[in-house]
Amino acid sequence: MGLLFVGFLSLVWPYISNVVLILVFAFLFTTVLLKSVDSIERRINNRGLSVLIVTVGLLAGIGLFIGSFISEISQQATDFSNRIDQDTLTAEFSKLGAKISATLPEGMATGSGDFSAALSGFIQIVIENLAALAGVIGNFVLNAAMILIFTIILLAEYHHFKKVLVGFFSNKYFEVGLGLIYNIEKSVSSYLRGQFLAAASVAVMSLVGLTILNFTGANLTLTVFIGIIAGLANLIPLVGPFVGMIPAILIAFMNNIGNDVAMAHQLFGVVPSPFYVLDIVVMFIIVQQIEGNLITPTLVGKSVGIHPMMVMISLIIGGTLMGPLGMLFAVPATGILKVIIHEIMFVRRNAHLL
Amino acid sequence: MKNALWNNIFQGWNSQESETVLTLKQVPIFKGFTDKEFQDLEKLFHRRAYDAGEFVFKNRAPGEGMYIIMKGAVKITIGTRENNEQILAELSEGSFFGELALFDDDPRSANAIATVQSDLLGFFTADLMTLNDRNPQMGNKILLNLGGVLGERLRGTNQLLLESQSN
Repeated sequence: MGLLFVGFLSLVWPYISNVVLILVFAFLFTTVLLKSVDSIERRINNRGLSVLIVTVGLLAGIGLFIGSFISEISQQATDFSNRIDQDTLTAEFSKLGAKISATLPEGMATGSGDFSAALSGFIQIVIENLAALAGVIGNFVLNAAMILIFTIILLAEYHHFKKVLVGFFSNKYFEVGLGLIYNIEKSVSSYLRGQFLAAASVAVMSLVGLTILNFTGANLTLTVFIGIIAGLANLIPLVGPFVGMIPAILIAFMNNIGNDVAMAHQLFGVVPSPFYVLDIVVMFIIVQQIEGNLITPTLVGKSVGIHPMMVMISLIIGGTLMGPLGMLFAVPATGILKVIIHEIMFVRRNAHLL
Repeated sequence: MKNALWNNIFQGWNSQESETVLTLKQVPIFKGFTDKEFQDLEKLFHRRAYDAGEFVFKNRAPGEGMYIIMKGAVKITIGTRENNEQILAELSEGSFFGELALFDDDPRSANAIATVQSDLLGFFTADLMTLNDRNPQMGNKILLNLGGVLGERLRGTNQLLLESQSN
């Protein structure tokens, strides 16, 4: 029976994977936003209006962030192109390539000789793939719109849907089923809220760290956006923290190119750190350590307690099935599975009592 | 045709109270509730049907909440049917039981068995928590009324104890 189900699922998976992805994301968003909707409903006593207020607030926040981010980044790009012409850029790339080669051991240095050519080739590939990128963005916007619609429906009808779902349980398992759903809700909601609080703390700490780096002459701009992106990237375990560093490194590179002092900068006056790249990496590592060892254990506690090995396995499975988005919800999904298995084991142990 | 149209437009204006609301109005836990509150409350209750002889819950099973008898009858027992079953109470329509599970995580302290084909309304800890999040005024009313009912029962138990000691 189980094998038949797996076979059937693998057959239909390509057709339903997108819908499943949309539903899972809608459920996760619903779990995060449900408390806010309930709390507004408590004040105004109107569910529909509460959903509308939360949705409009969320969309306004996202719109404001994306809008000001695009405006700031285009301003940054304009400044960059006004300041640096192509010859200077190629010369700087060559200088950087030579500097990297000089710091590498003899055997490893051969490949990085023509650094500027490699980078130009990379940019060429990026431009060629812009059409494909447009398609991906279109698909993303469509999926995001569907997730939004499903989230609104789920938020408005959540308690009714739950009641309907509970109605499917037989009398014998009814109370246990209700307890199971309640425990899953509690675990997922506390896990997600903990994650978002941890992400917010990473954003704030990164902002503080970047400001401190600016005092040492790092010349970093868009620090608020870099902080927010680092916080959001932090939601993806293991991989996220490294992704969060990339915008900061790019901005440091863009702002300091042509600046010989920044090029010759050394971390603690010892380790070469051109354009403050190593300083940024060390700052983000410190932020991650504070978040991982102090903030998350305090905020989330160890209630979800998934073994690091399981986190890695679930990330690989999530990544293989649905790419980066799969990685984003791999750990909450594993958390839900853990709660379900725990509850089923409890029911099996106490089956004679039902 | 015309009547059907107007009936659709003004549906709900002259609607009859549902069976659930009529049952809830008999229960002292919901004393002092308005019609609107009864309508909101109805959405939280789970209506379940039980055959004669079917267990609603068993002694020592994990308990999640209380039941109100809408139709039929339920007996509260300890012991097993084969082995010295003792009937603690026989409850009829409008009665409620299992409310202690709303306050603690302890397992059930008795069996509840439907004696005839019965319809019960279930109200559980999860529903009470949800109600407290969405409408704390209503949640508080229920808790206060429940406290009153439990206090009344405690006074009754004390009275019985005193009577048994004096005899």
